[in-house]
Amino acid sequence: MIMSFRGSVVALTLAAFVTAVVPAPARAALIDTNTAVAATQRAANLARVDSVLARAEVAQRLTDLGVSPQSAHERAAALTDAELANFATQLENAPAGGDILAVIGIVFVVLMILEFTGVIDIFKKV
Amino acid sequence: MLALLVGACGHLPREDSGPGATSAPWPADVPPRIELTRTPFFPQDDHQCGPAALATALGASGISVQPAELVGEVYVPARKGSLQAEMLATTRRRGRIAYRIEPTFDALARAVAGGEPVVVLLNLGVRSWPIWHYAVVIGYEREGEKILLRSGRTERARLSWRRFRGAWSRAGNWGFIALTPGTVPAGATAAAYAAAVADFERDDRPGALRAYAAGSARWPDEPLLRLGTANVLSAQGDRAGAEQALRDLLARRPADAAARNNLAELLSQRGCRDAALAQIAIAKSHARATPLAPLIEATAREIDARPADPAASCP
Repeated sequence: MIMSFRGSVVALTLAAFVTAVVPAPARAALIDTNTAVAATQRAANLARVDSVLARAEVAQRLTDLGVSPQSAHERAAALTDAELANFATQLENAPAGGDILAVIGIVFVVLMILEFTGVIDIFKKV
Repeated sequence: MLALLVGACGHLPREDSGPGATSAPWPADVPPRIELTRTPFFPQDDHQCGPAALATALGASGISVQPAELVGEVYVPARKGSLQAEMLATTRRRGRIAYRIEPTFDALARAVAGGEPVVVLLNLGVRSWPIWHYAVVIGYEREGEKILLRSGRTERARLSWRRFRGAWSRAGNWGFIALTPGTVPAGATAAAYAAAVADFERDDRPGALRAYAAGSARWPDEPLLRLGTANVLSAQGDRAGAEQALRDLLARRPADAAARNNLAELLSQRGCRDAALAQIAIAKSHARATPLAPLIEATAREIDARPADPAASCP
């Protein structure tokens, strides 16, 4: 399950790369429409991720694993636009019959959060 | 992996006898049967389903072009295929907005029902051994659950929904419309539409203006469309028009930091230092901890360094 999940992450990352907006350098000028579009999409994606992190069942499971929801949020906020878009999409498409927070769903969603936010790498090193 | 390069084109049967046992998620408000019969047909040569599909979609939108003319722009001989990004870029170069539909059957059905053929990427193989193929969805039959396509040498492929769904989903449900500037596709979202028009700004400014206006008529509260209008007007040298578009936007969305930033910059450029400083201060307060913050900081520094023009007529 995780392997195919990773495979689809790779696929989506490649797909998103095609349309990824290159971060604009910090120069003074009119903010162009592409930059504003990217910023708006990013904010929407972060809000989608945060709405999952904010749910009590997810927050509890993350805390049990020693990951504070706040640090998960900070790691999500540090992802690139494309990574964050994939993360939000994956969370929304997570299995378990419509409600991702059915029992299996919570485990899956938490694994996904750990994977995307890089926490799982820490586990591997232990 | 979802290929950036699409390899050898596949082949769709004229008819398949797939069962209609799985029920497609039809939108509630689309007609039971649609066929965009006036969509042109270009039998493809060899591996060139990309140029053929693109010529089909452009032709349907009133741009007459032969696949052979598009080969140099979208076809990569070494890979016997066409880049998805090049398909979109070539659409724009030919004067049409490349609108990426939401990756759902609902969006696809609504777009087609609204009269827009949709170029789709299909994987006719399996995930680990893909056979990529571009085709154009021109209709459907709700009863019997069939999808109608222009595909390869087949003028009218009639595919079971089940088979189509599998092939389309193995290609990430990727699809786009070659949109005439000024029309808004049925089932479109404001965000995806704004993104598509933003990419079109450099190709055709008057076309982008028409598209932003049509979008603003459909979604009056979408700030990105009004921001885009202001940016195109500004690029055309119409600073007064740009300023007005931004004020219209801010009247609806006072917290829009990008619009505040741009209004401040325009005011500063015409010598209204105090008004510009006031606007950029508001922009800064709304942009905290957003990706726009460093851009707005930079604008603020530039405005601060620019002298006021005593002769300017300022708000």
